[in-house]
Amino acid sequence: MQLSLSDYVKGWFKHTNKSERIWLMAKIEFKLRYYENKMGLLWALMKPISDVAVYYVAFKIIMKIGTPNYVPFVFLGIILFNYFAECTVGTIPILQTKRYLYEYTNMDKLEIYLSVILSNFIGFIFNLVIFFVFCQFIPIRLNFHIVFLPVLLLTLMILSLGFSLILSNLYLFAKDISQIWGILCSVLFWLSPVIYPVEKFHTSFPSLEYINPLSGIIANTRTILMENKSPDWQLMGFDLVYACFFLLVGIALLKNLGPNASEKL
Amino acid sequence: MEHTHDIAIEVFRLHKTFNIRDDNYNTIKQRFFHIFNPTPIRHLQALKDIHFSVRKGECIGIIGGNGSGKSTLVKCMANVYQPSQGYVKLTGTMMLMNLGVGMSHELTARENTYVSGSALGLKIAQIDKIFDEVIGFAELEEFVNTKIKYFSTGMVQRLAFSIAAHAGADIMFLDEVFAVGDQKFIEKAVRVIERSWIDGRTTVIVSHSMAVIEKYCQKVAYMKKGNMLFYGDPRTAIDMYVNDASSHAQPE
Repeated sequence: MQLSLSDYVKGWFKHTNKSERIWLMAKIEFKLRYYENKMGLLWALMKPISDVAVYYVAFKIIMKIGTPNYVPFVFLGIILFNYFAECTVGTIPILQTKRYLYEYTNMDKLEIYLSVILSNFIGFIFNLVIFFVFCQFIPIRLNFHIVFLPVLLLTLMILSLGFSLILSNLYLFAKDISQIWGILCSVLFWLSPVIYPVEKFHTSFPSLEYINPLSGIIANTRTILMENKSPDWQLMGFDLVYACFFLLVGIALLKNLGPNASEKL
Repeated sequence: MEHTHDIAIEVFRLHKTFNIRDDNYNTIKQRFFHIFNPTPIRHLQALKDIHFSVRKGECIGIIGGNGSGKSTLVKCMANVYQPSQGYVKLTGTMMLMNLGVGMSHELTARENTYVSGSALGLKIAQIDKIFDEVIGFAELEEFVNTKIKYFSTGMVQRLAFSIAAHAGADIMFLDEVFAVGDQKFIEKAVRVIERSWIDGRTTVIVSHSMAVIEKYCQKVAYMKKGNMLFYGDPRTAIDMYVNDASSHAQPE
């Protein structure tokens, strides 16, 4: 029972089937999401593509925004934002929907979160592949800056996991957190540079990217993939620390509130 | 006589109190509107100072009337509920089985077998090996790829039991599992439990069937109103329970 932290961390990688199990649950989760209907994986692509179509008409054709390569620009923003939104909105009731996993065996609750985050990531990767395919048809060429992409995606995953942990544990005590977060999420959408370039915000909200961690992740991903430049190091470091902070808060909440989950739900 | 490393379950001065509000405010809105007139909280003492231990390989029974705290005790022992005071120490993997077995109704029998097997500590390769045996024992060969939401309660129970038996959880909590299976399956299940003792597994059975309890349990705990009145010889515990029940049934 009284495991030291290093034993705990080691336990995730050695002598156990934890990593195997998380991957198994992620695959099943993914299958449940996309293979329960005839369209299958197409649905995973339909949503960002239809969003892009809407924003293209609204911002490029009607409002005549001057951003070059607007379609890949918006597409990248949307898939990054959607990943965060799916991981957080979708996992708020996770302790209720997945209680069969932790109630009957001594499975660590954190594994359940990781499997969902991972399962959404599989969907995200499919979208990212579409982005890369699309890049072949337009004058965007990828170069070595792509090596920073894993760091940015890791930051996004840590951030999503952190928020997912915080929200789902608050859900034990306040069921309307899902409605509240739904509203906050749409506010966040417009306060993130998803359909506008980040420069537009500098004039209106000078320190936006230091308040909204998603903003830096989206801006930096575009910088390395579309502009072939080095990311804004300061912002990248800040986002990573910011994300880790939320993860630690989330884990602390899970350790303190999580054990009451079966009683409260 | 008892060595600490032989103990599978140690329950130390366990208390469990449920804090119940008659109006269950569960949203921010409700909490906000009732900030000045909160409803009083009732404290329901479900378990009072329970103290005992179970050795590895033992099969123990828990009996008592409805609302005596049997299921709460099992849930506390399985770490599903957090004790209000005291602690429970488990050594090894565990599986809790009750009428709402730990399976997703959205998944097929195959998927559930893999997820549950993995949750009990098996590697995928090991599950591959025992898979046919698990399905065969549960007599579900024709329904391997059927979602278990289309299964009957008995079928789900059989699958859960079969996984637990084959995956080999070190500690099995069986909360009224004999209530749903048909006679044929119960006989099979009981044989597995008998075999488990040889393998050194620990079993905790909650049941209203005194026949099962008397036949298979080496020790029996008798619960009444959250207290453990007796823990030890099965015959004595059952007699206490039966006498108690009949004295209540006949008003003086």
